[in-house]
Amino acid sequence: MSENEPTPAEIMAEASFAIREPPKVLVPVEVLEGESVSASLVEFLAPAEVVLLGYHVLPEQTPTEQASMQFEDRARTAIDDIAAAFREEGREVETRVAFTHDRDATVDRVAAETDATAVLLPNPVGAVEDVVVPIRGAIDVDRLADLVATLLAGREGSVTLWGIDTGGEFDAAAAVERARETLAERGLATDRVRTEITETDSAVRAVVDRSGEFDVIVMGEGGPGLLSSLFGDPAERVAEGAVAPVLVVRD
Amino acid sequence: MGTERPEGTNRAGESPEAGALPTEAGSDTSVTEEGSELERSIGLVGGVSIGVGTMIGAGIFVFPGLAAGEAGPAAAASFAIGAVIALLVALPASELATAMPKSGGGYYYISRALGSLPGAVVGISIWLGLVFATAFYLVSFGSYAAALLAEAGIPIGGLPVVDTLALGFGLLLTALNLFGTENAAKLQNYVVGLLLTILVIFLGYGGLDALGVFGTTSTPETFMPFGLMSVFSTAALVFTSYLGFAQVATVAGDIKDPGRNLPLAMVGSVLIVAVLYVATIFVATSAFGSGRLSGFGETAIVEVARAFGGDVGALAILLGGLLATVSSANASILSTSRAVFAVSKDALLPQFASRVNLQYGTPHVALSMAGGPVLVLVGLGEVELLAEVASFLHLVMYGLICVALLAMRRDEPEWYDPEFRVPAYRLVAGVGALASFGLIAFMERESQVIGAAIMLAAAGWYKYYADDVQLRGVL
Repeated sequence: MSENEPTPAEIMAEASFAIREPPKVLVPVEVLEGESVSASLVEFLAPAEVVLLGYHVLPEQTPTEQASMQFEDRARTAIDDIAAAFREEGREVETRVAFTHDRDATVDRVAAETDATAVLLPNPVGAVEDVVVPIRGAIDVDRLADLVATLLAGREGSVTLWGIDTGGEFDAAAAVERARETLAERGLATDRVRTEITETDSAVRAVVDRSGEFDVIVMGEGGPGLLSSLFGDPAERVAEGAVAPVLVVRD
Repeated sequence: MGTERPEGTNRAGESPEAGALPTEAGSDTSVTEEGSELERSIGLVGGVSIGVGTMIGAGIFVFPGLAAGEAGPAAAASFAIGAVIALLVALPASELATAMPKSGGGYYYISRALGSLPGAVVGISIWLGLVFATAFYLVSFGSYAAALLAEAGIPIGGLPVVDTLALGFGLLLTALNLFGTENAAKLQNYVVGLLLTILVIFLGYGGLDALGVFGTTSTPETFMPFGLMSVFSTAALVFTSYLGFAQVATVAGDIKDPGRNLPLAMVGSVLIVAVLYVATIFVATSAFGSGRLSGFGETAIVEVARAFGGDVGALAILLGGLLATVSSANASILSTSRAVFAVSKDALLPQFASRVNLQYGTPHVALSMAGGPVLVLVGLGEVELLAEVASFLHLVMYGLICVALLAMRRDEPEWYDPEFRVPAYRLVAGVGALASFGLIAFMERESQVIGAAIMLAAAGWYKYYADDVQLRGVL
């Protein structure tokens, strides 16, 4: 971080930003598989509170305790290295290490315990400029606005509110408008917010197809449903197909 | 638990590892000394499925013929006696498990309540006891697979097909566990569900038939043709059908809300299989009479199913037998690996044995220590001997679990705070211990000698290798 850029604390103190509550991002990292968080993503997330969760998934025949005896030190060292990168950006981070048979259960539990605003599904990314927010169903607009406004406050770059109308009862245009107003209330300059509406059959495919145009995707959980139970959460399917990291705003 | 640092080491200079402590009651994690979280991921259904999946292989698909041959229709009483003993042990085991929800099960409670020598003897002999049990399930699997081949009209000639199939499957199961089987537990749940469905249909139809609903006459028979003693000695033989409820406790460290789910899973799985066993014997002896049933040997239940449902019935039960014996064998291999881990964590076996392979994430040494000896024993192929030695070693542990409960309650340490307390614990644990040890007296001489020799060898190993080891949290 160079001298003339404001620190996260200064940004938060600036009167033009009216963040309702400081957003907290849970960053799960499969540490022993060599997963890490890229420098540009660290820099992008640094304005938020960050909880780093180093996890290791074990097959069911291995007791978690048995694995922890052997791998705990390595996992802690690896997660501390990533935490150090965040601290260099001037941010204190909370670190946790977990051994589990079920990644999703652990991430959901830690997200609930820390009351995280959003969970990161990591993908490689370069410098972050353009953020897209696909809105295709009910989403907690307050949390979304807190998160996006905080992350974009101290930097260049735009946010695209992208309403996706899949032909249901959900009024995409109204939701986009509400999100735009809330972002403005939080103090994000209106010329940095773009909006558009698309009609499509598959929201997930539409987001994946356009993911190359943006650097970070911010979307809602989407809730349970038949498709979710068969193929996983929409956000997870987006993260698998997209070339950008996904921030999932929790309901 | 105990705050004092252990000082003693084993011959390799290793001392016991600190264990993870469970967080507050009802929580889904344990926390290690360094603060890492261990997710508990097995729910009540998973726990019951481990218990039922381990037990159900033997009682229905192996023993009806053998037991009817030894005790006549009173074999149903033998199974009921086994169930009562299993319940008398399951209750104390439940209390201890909720007070110490840690992987290791019986070994852990006994070593903490009674000291490291009894702990080491039980820990090592339960490893071998599980090996005997696994071999027994695999040989039974071989019988079913051979019967299926015969049913399909594939000539097997004079080949030792039972042993070959048992060996082959033993290798396959060990390899599958070594190289990671994702969702193995979910698969186990489905297998157990399918099995229970087949059995309930079969027993429901057979039971109605035996009661004369379908108008066929069943031959009335003397209930106890071989006397009262035969009922008890048969109970000793078929007790192998109940080895499994304590396996739920070996995964205690991974069970969600252990205070509620552990007792429910242990007691529940005993009750479920007990009802099925007694019903099976009733139906089987009503259909054929114990003399003919005995003549059918290990796959007698297939003939019973054929009598009710023709070839389709026989095929369904053959399939059930394959599933049940495989599920029992697999669950036992996993329990063996956990038993080895619990003992080696405490430095009573070399700690090398609890290594985890980073690439596959599996405990490859412990799994090999389960699968390797199993293959040797399968080669022996003596079903009844394997079953009895397995029962012997388990019964010693069960008896000592009851004694451990008495010791814990008499001198309750500060940390002892079980969520489930056995009512009338002196009576339950006292009778449970006497019954467990008493059942051993009814076994064949050969099984008793082998079982006692294994325990002596375990004690000798402890004296040689780990005499100085001081365990954490011993009373």
